[in-house]
Amino acid sequence: MAVRRLNPVLTAALALVVVAAVAAIFTGWSWYAAAHDDTAAYARARDQALAAAEQAVQNMNTLDHADLARGLDLWEASTTGDLHSQLVQGRADFSKQVAQAQTVSTAKVLAGAVTELDERAGRAAVLVALRITVQAPKQQPATKESRMLGELTRTATGWKLSALGQAPMGSAAGSGQ
Amino acid sequence: MTDQEPRRPRRWPLPLALVLLVLAGSCLLVLGDRAEAQAEANRALTDGQTTAEVVGDVGNALGRIFSYTPADTAATAKAADALLDGPAAAQYRSLFAQVKQQVADQKLTLTTRVVRAGVTELSGEQAKLLVFLDQTSQREGKAASTAAAQLSVTARRTGGHWRITELKAR
Repeated sequence: MAVRRLNPVLTAALALVVVAAVAAIFTGWSWYAAAHDDTAAYARARDQALAAAEQAVQNMNTLDHADLARGLDLWEASTTGDLHSQLVQGRADFSKQVAQAQTVSTAKVLAGAVTELDERAGRAAVLVALRITVQAPKQQPATKESRMLGELTRTATGWKLSALGQAPMGSAAGSGQ
Repeated sequence: MTDQEPRRPRRWPLPLALVLLVLAGSCLLVLGDRAEAQAEANRALTDGQTTAEVVGDVGNALGRIFSYTPADTAATAKAADALLDGPAAAQYRSLFAQVKQQVADQKLTLTTRVVRAGVTELSGEQAKLLVFLDQTSQREGKAASTAAAQLSVTARRTGGHWRITELKAR
């Protein structure tokens, strides 16, 4: 008899617990998923930006005088913004210089790192250490280590270099810019 | 007794459903987690505070271990003991033993400054960095010269501080 009377209460209590548990799991999960998605998206953007940067910096340090058009097309495809405009503007003059010098440049990325990433604005800053080999006619190939700072901008076709230069010596330290 | 027995099976479904729900919820978390685990396991930049800490500690350590004056190489060696660990510590000790005599003989001063540093990997208590350095060396009475250096650095956090465990010139 006691059991029979308790049963509805117990059933109701258990039902409430189940409802509460479902609500808790759902709320917890959606909160977690939302926070998690942000971090995951940011981590993905970081990895994509670095991969694009390393490839673009390698492209920008690779050029064969015998295959100039293709090399410079790749330079233009690797860049955006001001850097891209500069390349397009200077293309004719630069082509002449390289054709005359008859050099073949190749590059190997040794290491790279993203130092800044603004995922919303679609901008990133990177460091890239690379080894560049320049072969001029009738000369031993010259190899040098180079350290470069790059800025990336996200475009409809992925991350591209919007600025690139040697990390200057004797410049003030700082993680910014 | 005969009244209760048939009722018992009816009570099971509720706790059972509860357990199943919790299990299902956990499975969702684990599965979702695994999908993003690879990119997310690397907390470089996603954990901004720790990223800044590593950059700060490693930069500071590099500046100290690669800076010395002929009058006080002992201070540099002592700093290295505190800031380096593992293979980097052994590598540095043997290098510094060779350099020490030259530093004294030639009255050599070296100053190292971090130009830029970036964290490539950050997980748990370990980090990998790429660091650009400027090293200015000067013999007494001579003009100073500055050289660029690029290092890949591995660091490990012990006792709240990041210590360098591996150094590789790039």
